[in-house]
Parts: sequence; structure tokens; C-alpha cells
Amino acid sequence: MAVYLLRRLALAALVIISVSAVTFVVARVIPSDPAALYAGQRPTADQIEAARERLGLDQPLYAQYIRFLGDILQGDLGTSYKTKHPILSDIRTFLPATLELVIVSTLMALLVGVPLGVFAGARRGGGFDQVTRIASIAGVSIPTFWLALIFQLFFFGALKLLPLSSRMSNSVALFNTFPTITGFYLIDSLLAGNLVAWRDAAWHILLPAFTLATYPISLTLRMTRAAMVETLSEKYITAARAQGLPEHDVLFRYALKNAIIPTLTVLGLSFAYSLTGAFLIEVIFSWPGLGKYVTDAVLNVDFPVIVSVTLIVTVFYVFINLIVDIIQAVLDPRVALR
Amino acid sequence: MKPKLFSAFSLVLALAIALAACSGTPPATQPPASATEAPAPTAAPAQPSVLTIANSTTFPDIDPSTSFSNDSAVTSNIYETLTRYNPPGSKDVLSPQLATSWESSEDSLTWTFHLRQGVKFHDGEPFNSAAVKFSVERTKTLNGGAAWIWGAVNSIETPDDYTVVFHLDYATPLDLIASSGYAAWMISPGAKDKDGAWFNAGHDAGTGPYTIESYEPGQRVILTRFDDYWGGWKAGQFDKVVIEVVEDPTVRQQKIESGEADWTMELATENLASVGNNPDVKVVVNPSFQNLVGLLNTQKPPLDDPKVRQALSYSFPYEVFINTAMSGYATQARGVIPAGMYGSDESLFQYPFDLDKAKSLLTEAGHPDGGFELSMTYVTGNTVEQQAGELWKAELAKLGITLNLQPMAWEAQWDLGKGDPANAQDVFVMYWWPAYVTPYDFLFNMFHTEEQPLFNLGYYRNGDFDTLIDDANALSGGDKAKAESMFQEASKMLVDDAASLFIFDQSNIHIVRADLKGYVDNPAYSHVVFAYQLSR
Repeated sequence: MAVYLLRRLALAALVIISVSAVTFVVARVIPSDPAALYAGQRPTADQIEAARERLGLDQPLYAQYIRFLGDILQGDLGTSYKTKHPILSDIRTFLPATLELVIVSTLMALLVGVPLGVFAGARRGGGFDQVTRIASIAGVSIPTFWLALIFQLFFFGALKLLPLSSRMSNSVALFNTFPTITGFYLIDSLLAGNLVAWRDAAWHILLPAFTLATYPISLTLRMTRAAMVETLSEKYITAARAQGLPEHDVLFRYALKNAIIPTLTVLGLSFAYSLTGAFLIEVIFSWPGLGKYVTDAVLNVDFPVIVSVTLIVTVFYVFINLIVDIIQAVLDPRVALR
Repeated sequence: MKPKLFSAFSLVLALAIALAACSGTPPATQPPASATEAPAPTAAPAQPSVLTIANSTTFPDIDPSTSFSNDSAVTSNIYETLTRYNPPGSKDVLSPQLATSWESSEDSLTWTFHLRQGVKFHDGEPFNSAAVKFSVERTKTLNGGAAWIWGAVNSIETPDDYTVVFHLDYATPLDLIASSGYAAWMISPGAKDKDGAWFNAGHDAGTGPYTIESYEPGQRVILTRFDDYWGGWKAGQFDKVVIEVVEDPTVRQQKIESGEADWTMELATENLASVGNNPDVKVVVNPSFQNLVGLLNTQKPPLDDPKVRQALSYSFPYEVFINTAMSGYATQARGVIPAGMYGSDESLFQYPFDLDKAKSLLTEAGHPDGGFELSMTYVTGNTVEQQAGELWKAELAKLGITLNLQPMAWEAQWDLGKGDPANAQDVFVMYWWPAYVTPYDFLFNMFHTEEQPLFNLGYYRNGDFDTLIDDANALSGGDKAKAESMFQEASKMLVDDAASLFIFDQSNIHIVRADLKGYVDNPAYSHVVFAYQLSR
């Protein structure tokens, strides 16, 4: 196990360094003048030249890359060319917002998609299976930005039940503030013992998280269902049933344990993808997250930001994959970590 | 997954939903920002009045020295300038703000500003001549954003606490420069050791009516009134201002319609009619000082021939384009200086859409059947610029001219434009707006001869034009009327030469709640709400 982990970590380092090099080069060959971007909206020629010198853009590409790696090793991701903010502090602001959203939506996917998939698989071909099949096909094929707008019109516009956008109400920001510790509002408000703010944050996250979850819910549902159908035809399930075990135990204790493995892999990938892939949801719900941050950076060719966020997301991908692999080994002794 | 783990997850989620749902309607479902309705269990008994602004963009940089973008929505309420540019239609071009009066020497090389007394910065420092010197010098030293507006300033003298004298290297209208919404803010000397990161963490050092209470980047800024503001406070003015970042236009529309916001901007123009039907909401339409131009490459055949450029100017379907792409919220431009601005000219010639005239000019130029290709660059994703290209392409096809549309990221578009004119685009489409309100900003940046192209991306070269606008600028500090007629003459030269397509002057469209009193749009400070002027 320890050898396996070490090997995976070494591999992770290799992946991260390669990704950083590729992103760095790709971001630099795009025709654009980063010095002009740094110099602002309507710079003078001397402002642009000063920027070029200050950023070391007059040096050869390999020298810039070495400098960039050196900075990263010292924990410095550099500054955004567009906003001049230190990227690390930007990420500290925007990453928790996205993580909070993605974690809640992934939980929704697990808690809704898995049980529905189990039941659909257990009653294959039945009415419930048909309904969830249609719902999940709709869930993966309806564009999320459209769904987001419809949800807003319905839950905010018509029902007046859920808030329209942002992470918390202005009234809470004005009169019920709490200190930022983790950047997760649901946690920070609890730490401050501020239940009004907690409830407000929870109400605000429901709609964007659910919208974001529609795709993984549908995916989880379909994958769990397929795996359940296969697992339920295994002989050990027949044996369990023959011994008179309660159906609930058969489904959740015996069948699901094997059926959930592919679902977890997919969910892990979907989690990592959503870190930057949620930008449409973030824009529509005014959610100040990483997706919106990096999309702006891409549109502006703000390459220090692009490279930094790519690196961070790569790290997430690599580690989520690792964690999923470990969970699989724990769940299924046949999966050996070698 | 083990059932126990699974049950635990279910429990957490169920608990979360139950907790969130408990005690009836959640606070977020009520319009939270207005004084009368905001539920505020822990607020002081007297409810502060709150103005809520739904802004369409984030605030990249709120350092008053370097800020040169949409951040003026924030900075304009926190900081003040020496002078302020008045909205069009006012008696005077400028009003006093932190300076009460000013004068220039005959040659406009020495400017003296007399300062308002009894003004305090938010940090308690007094506002005086030393603070003015500090502010301008800080901005010049950092040399970011629009710092170049102070380029003429050679030295600053402070003969007494309330007099400041600027010595310039060349004549320029320093009173107009001092009114700029960028780089002209007065900053407390108490912030002399602070850098951009300090300001962008949500700190400020201004004299303005409001000060920053909290800042959540990408989400909102909350401003609170500065009790010691020199202008004093009257009943009905707002105690707090929330400037919220709402990038999606549909959401902004829902916010203004539901009363969650008091002011917003940039809604889809096709929805404005229905928004205007709501009696609780007002759509305020004003001319802006922003226009759309299509700079024509005057150094590359066939556009080096003025006749061909004039033909192109006749071939653009101005009216159709404005009605379709802008739903009519723009007017065809008269030259490069936006209507209503100092230096604009209501009698200036406008090229009408006239394909016959275009054809005869092309024939005179030796291209009776067209037969050439043109490339037009514009910013990717800008649907207005894209539609301009598509509509024009169809008309040009009738003249036998092929227009190739090249959408690019702005940085790439500009990079191509700054290169060798012989390899550059034929038509460079972009918006322009002034850093401070002067016709010189438009005329100089886009048309003054440049050895190394920067913003003169039609590569226009005309020595007489250069001399005329340079002289007019020098004169505009003293004889504004004479300078204005010279600027108008220069504008006419550009129209005669068809140096650019002068497509439209954009309208500023702002949407405000009907119960908001005192709102006047000032195009000199684009999309800025001066909260101090408002009440409910």
C-alpha cells in the first residue's frame, strides 16, 4: 500500500509538471501581447514597455518557465495580468465558493442518484425504471444554463420560495456578517454560531447546487442502475435472497457495494470537472467561483491565471482519482493497490 | 458505499434541508435591500436606508491611482476629484468639487487651484495642498491605468495649505483633466505606505460621501456613509450602498423588476420595452460618450484612396444596423466626437446609406465592379460588432467587394493592429470612450500620426490635422470657444477624408426603481451612480 501510494504520488508530480509545461507553452503561443494586457485598458507605449520589463516577458520562454516554476515552489502563483491581484489570494477567494457548490451538488448526486438507481435497477423494466430513464435522459441532455433560468423563473419568480442569485442576501451581508475562516459560508456561519446567516447561505446554495447536480444525478442514476442490473443477476444475490435476507439488505448491503464502484469513478471525475466547468451556473447565479474566474482569464488571455488554475485543477483531478481508487480497494477486496 | 456511510450522508442532507426550512419563510425570499423590508434580527432598532446597485461587471482594481475600468462605480462614491464634469445641458462645463476655484496663466502652462477648506479624509487626515501633491505624485509614480493624463505636469507647488500650483511642460486643459473619473482622485497621505493589494483588499483613503464597509471580491461591495463628509447629510439620503456584481442580464432584470435592486444597467435591449411597462421601474435613456468606429487602413491599397474610403462610408447600412443590433438605442455618429460632448458638431456631414453613390465613387477610383477583398477585425463574442460586420458584408457583396470577418480576442486584435500596416487588417472595429472628457482624447488617440501604431489603427497621417488638434488642445485650457471650433474643423477633415466609419454614438441605458429620487445620468462618468445625490 505504501509503495503504491509513493508510486502514485511520483506519477502525480510528473503529470502536474507536464501539464504546467504544456499549458505554459500553449498560453504563450496564442497571438497576444501579455505586456499590453498588464498595462491596462488604454496604455501608452511606455507603460507597455515598462510592463514587459517588469514581468520578464523580454526574456526567452524557457527562462520565463524556470522563473515561473521557481515562484510556484515558493508558493507564489504570481499576479493576474488583468487585475494585478495576487493569484493565490484570488484563488483563496474563489475556490471555496466553487468547492462548496460542487461538494453540495456531488452529495446531492450521491444521495438522490444512487438510491434511485438502485430502485430502478431492482425493478428493471417497471414503471419507476421508465420514469427515471426519461428523467435522467432529460437531465443529461437539457443544457444547464437553460435549466438554471427556468428554475430561477419558477422558484424565485413564481413561487417566491428560493433566492435568485449570489451566496447570501444583502441583508445578511449588511446586518448579520460573520468572519471568513474557511471561505465555506455554510461552515463559517456555523462556526460563528450565526444561524440566520447559515440558513440564508443554505437557501442560496440549494438552487445552483441542484442545477449543477442534474447532470451527475442522471449519470449516477443510470450507471448505478446498469451496475445493479448486472450485479442482481449474480449467483451470490440469488443465494442471499434464498437465505431469506430482507430485500433492503440485499439491495443496499450486498448488491450496491459492488455496483457502486464505476459510479464513484464517474462521480470523482465529474467533481473535478465541475471545479472549472460550472462557470455557466456561476454566472447565472452570480456565484463568485473559480469557473467564472478562469473563464474571464481565458477570454482575456490572462495566462498566469490560466496556468495557475489549470495546475490547481490538475492537482484536484490527480488526487480525486487517487482517493477514488483507494475507496474502491476498500469496498472491493479484489481491487488490489499495487 | 457502506450503508452506514450512506445513511449518515442522508441524515446530513435531510438535517440541512430541515434546518434551512425551519421557522417559515427564509429571509432571502424577501427583497432584502430596501430599508423598509429588510429582515434584520440583529440590526440596530433604526433601520438604515440602503441603496442597491446591480452592476454588470466586477471591480478589477479599486486602487484610486491605477483604477481604469468599471471600478469607477465604486471609486466615484468614495473618492473625489478637484473638479467635476457636468452632465450635458448644464450651464458650465465643470463644477467645483474639492477645488472651489481655479485659474490658468495666459499660456496655460501654470494652473492654480484653490482648495475647499474643512474637508477630511476617511482616515481623519485633513485635505490640503500637500494631499493634492501626494495624490498626483503617487498616481504618476505608479504609472498604471490612466496615469498618463498627468503627463504634462512637471512640478507641483504648495504655497499654502489651500492653494496648489501645477507647472506644466506643455499647455493642456488641466481643469478638465482634474475632473477625470480615472487617476484624478484625491488620496489621503495617510495611505502613503499602502500598495494596490491593500486597496484591493477593501480599504480606502478618500474624502467622498461613502467609505467601504466590506468587500467580497466578485460578489459585492458595501459602502457606508462617512459622517464627517464636508457636504453634510440631509434626511432621506442613503446610509448604505450595496454594489452587487450580477453578470447575467436576465438576473439583473429579475432583480430590478422584483425590487431587489434599485438601479441596474445593460439589460437585453429587446426586453426594455416590456421592462418600461412596469410602473415600478423607469428606463432612463441618455446619450453616452462612447461610440463605435471602424478605422479604415489608410496605408494599404485599396483603402489608401480616399474615394474608396468614402464609397465604403456610403455602403454601411447605418439605420438598419442601429435598429436591429441596438434596437434603436443609438444614433448614427456625426464624426468621431460623440453628440452632446464639448467639441461635437450638429451640422457635421453624415454619410447616408447610398449604394448608388458608393458605386459611382468606386467607378471613379477605378473599381467599377469592386473585385477586392477586405478584412475586418472585431472582438470575439461582441454580437453588436458581429452584426455590424454581417450586415455590411451583405451590402458590400452587392458592390462586388468581399468582406472577411475576423473575430479575435481583443488582445490579439490589437496586437495585429499594432503591427505593420501593410499586413494588418483593413477595417478595425472598436468602441472608444474618453479617459477625461475632451475631443482631443478621440482625435489624438485614433487619428494623430504615430510612428509606432498604438490606437491610430487606421494609420491616418495628416500633418495639418495633427497641428490643428495639438493647437486646439493647448488652447482649450484658456479659450474654450476658439478651441472648440478648431476641434470641429479637425472632425470635419476626418469625415471628408473618410478616415473611419463613424458608426454610432451609443445610448446609456439605465434602469431605476421609480421611487428613487434625484437620479441624473452623467455620461462623463460612465455607468456611475453618485449615491449621495439620491434619496427615496
